[in-house]
Amino acid sequence: MLIIYLGDVMFKKYQKRKPESIMNSKETNNDVENNSLYKSLGNNISLFKNIFENDETLIIREFQNKRLKTAQCCIIYFDGMVNTEIVNENIIQPVLSCDLSEDIESDNLLEELKKKVIVSNNVTLETGINKMVSSVINGDTLFLLEGYDKALVISSKGGQARSISEPRSSRVVRGPREGFTESIMVNLSLVRRKIKNPDLKFKFKEIGERTHTKTCICYIEGLAMEGILSELEQRLDKIEIDGVMDSGYIQELIKDAPYSPFETVGSSERPDVIAAKLLEGRIALFVDGSPFVLTVPFLVVENFQANEDYYNNYIFSTMNRLMRGFTAVTSITIPALFLSIVTYHQEMLPTPLLLSISASRQNVPIPTAVSLFIMFLIFDILREAGTRMPSSIGQAVNIVGTLVLGQAAVEARLVSAPVIIVTALTGIMTLINMNFISATIIFRNFLLLGASFLGVYGFLLCFIILYLHLMSIRSFGVPYMMNVTRARNHDGQDAWIRAPWWTMTLRPKIIAAKDLVRQSSRKSKEK
Amino acid sequence: MRKKRITLLVLMLLINEIFTTGCWSYREVDKLSIIAGVAVDKGINNQFQMTVEIIQVSTGKDTNMTSKTITMEGKTLFDAARNLITLSGKRLYWSHAKVIILSKEIASEGVTEVVDWYNRDSETREDIHMLISEGASAKEIFDGQGTTEDIKSFALDEMIKNQESLSKAPIVDILKFDIESKTKGVSTIIPSVNLKKMEGKMVPQIMGTAIIKNHKLVGFLNGEETKDLTFIRNEVKGGILIEEMHANNVPTLVSLKIFKSKTKFTPVADGEDNGNIEINLNIDTTVAIDEIQGTENIFDDEGRNELEQSAENTLKERIESLIKKMQSEYDADIFGFGAKLREDKAQVWNSVGNNWEDVFKDLKVNVNTRVHIKNSAVLSKTVEEGD
Repeated sequence: MLIIYLGDVMFKKYQKRKPESIMNSKETNNDVENNSLYKSLGNNISLFKNIFENDETLIIREFQNKRLKTAQCCIIYFDGMVNTEIVNENIIQPVLSCDLSEDIESDNLLEELKKKVIVSNNVTLETGINKMVSSVINGDTLFLLEGYDKALVISSKGGQARSISEPRSSRVVRGPREGFTESIMVNLSLVRRKIKNPDLKFKFKEIGERTHTKTCICYIEGLAMEGILSELEQRLDKIEIDGVMDSGYIQELIKDAPYSPFETVGSSERPDVIAAKLLEGRIALFVDGSPFVLTVPFLVVENFQANEDYYNNYIFSTMNRLMRGFTAVTSITIPALFLSIVTYHQEMLPTPLLLSISASRQNVPIPTAVSLFIMFLIFDILREAGTRMPSSIGQAVNIVGTLVLGQAAVEARLVSAPVIIVTALTGIMTLINMNFISATIIFRNFLLLGASFLGVYGFLLCFIILYLHLMSIRSFGVPYMMNVTRARNHDGQDAWIRAPWWTMTLRPKIIAAKDLVRQSSRKSKEK
Repeated sequence: MRKKRITLLVLMLLINEIFTTGCWSYREVDKLSIIAGVAVDKGINNQFQMTVEIIQVSTGKDTNMTSKTITMEGKTLFDAARNLITLSGKRLYWSHAKVIILSKEIASEGVTEVVDWYNRDSETREDIHMLISEGASAKEIFDGQGTTEDIKSFALDEMIKNQESLSKAPIVDILKFDIESKTKGVSTIIPSVNLKKMEGKMVPQIMGTAIIKNHKLVGFLNGEETKDLTFIRNEVKGGILIEEMHANNVPTLVSLKIFKSKTKFTPVADGEDNGNIEINLNIDTTVAIDEIQGTENIFDDEGRNELEQSAENTLKERIESLIKKMQSEYDADIFGFGAKLREDKAQVWNSVGNNWEDVFKDLKVNVNTRVHIKNSAVLSKTVEEGD
């Protein structure tokens, strides 16, 4: 009895909510008159009202032509999602004021309006409700006409978006100052403006079952490897997530070495960087709502390549790049080396240095190893506080960090001065390679742990483990450490050094294996 | 399952590695007593008396580094070294010791026996400089006052290192001593140290050479003789030659700064049974005039030639007299003539090597010297007083 009763109640409820249920449950989709509209305008309006029930940003504006009384129409859009100027001047105003004569065949009116009246660059005739609903959500305007079970979807996307500005995460002295925004279409246009070539392909894909986030795979046909492309598409297809807020979600979901702190998917906020990577045969992935565009495959050398390297003098760029590589290695190894030499292999220190370290260690109760761990923890706390806090209180944190934790700790003999120096030096060197920071911190502590138990031996053991780990990673089939350990032919041209442009005649191997020659004229001249 | 087994195997190997390494010894620097220098004397009952200079670091507003000496006796050197802990408390750290001073008595009984421990132990280093105390006991050298540094061993170390521009004492570390004492046909040398009275304080002074023959100390050379010795040994890095000129019947002293010097000696053996061994010694020295105590003109070709000639003769005389002294007084081939003979003419060495001492005694050495004057430093003429 109860079951029957419940079923009855649910059935009634179900019937009542029929039109609205399109978005929520798939079963009912077929039920709404095969996904199509009514002929009556009034019915259609109530249909959409039901679909977007409790959504007060929905605007339904009814109007009619000043001559033809039968031309009763209605537009539906979301407040804030559309450009109101387009709606007012290009849709409502022409429809209101145009001279629609009586002799238009009544079943041709919608076509007539589309062709002759509505001023818009993109108007499509739609019959399916699902399409209409998603268009309205995306910021288009729906145009309904009395007596038609079809509707016009008029492109009127607008709304507030951030304007193009220089990205805060990577500023340059020399180079283009534009950065990606949160709007995917703007981002795509920024890249297309740089690569004016029909071979530049864009493939859209929606990710996120609830957010329906638009993503776009971008590549240059003839450069990008099909294998990598299909692998990327396959990985994207496997994603089943309710929402994507930033490209970081996807970056982590399609990563090759999921448990490694090293990134195997690159990201950049700069159109020039993405364009350059596309030209090297890499594939970019744009995600709507994120100014960070992903690139695959991503190699370890890309962590040290800054876009400015390619715009500045190559000697200067090489120097900077070597410095970045050097600091990346030293920021991982220096604390562990310091610890192992000072606590295990004092004979390796020059005598005056040993004496001054010994002097600064006098009466310090905390062992060197422990104090290093503590200082790094404090440094990371300060760093994290610095990133999250409002800029107005930054000074206070700086003072506390430098004076209280640095000077006072040494004077109070809680830690020795060399430990502070090592911490500060390492900390600053870590900050040079910001895109590397998680790996740096994790492996620095790992090496430190090894060194504190086993000295230089433990340091080397952990370093070898780190090296083997790096060597074992692949990014979309391309070895992560490619070109780091080789300098033959053109392998080393863009790894530790940035070779002069006239010598970089080839693109990186494997990634751009389909067409390696970048500067063909030069190549032929050299021969 | 297979993966699990491999993981276990790797873990097992790693854990084994941890316990089989030799560096399982975390120690903080402030818990170490850093030894700056070692002195070995003869103690009572024929025991070794070891004195170490320990660096004492005291921190307050400024860092102060002073030193303290601890003396302890032991049946062997290692015994004495470990007994030192009973006085110092902290563990002694040997790797940074700079000098080892042996007393005359110890050295007379045998040097190799003493340095064996130093060679063998893992913490001690072979680049430590050796010294033999000529007058005072080794311990007393540490009691002397340093002129530039508070830590006497470091002062001594600096003194030895800067002998390069003086050449009045050889620079010998344990490694070099080992190599030379194992080489046949050469007697070893060690620089000697003395205490010199200065303003009522005793100050260590490194000058001269101790001659070690068959691992035992046999005698000393003074500073000037040492300079000649380094000429023959081709170890001259610097130093000065003083030359007396007699132009215009006024004796004038000229200091010549040695830039570089090259010594080559070739053993010649001829006659029946190679019995007639001679050594041809060629010394080629480049000098610069650095000081002229007079107004005499030596800058023209003639004057310079004269100076060169006279410097060559002086050098030759000095070297010949040193060789004679060694041949007649000590029979110790500190120059390495025997070693060179062994290197160049092994057959001859095989026949005479066993009684090289006797051969050395009557060895004929043909000394040939050559002195080039390169320039006269920054002045081209002597400064003449105006009328």
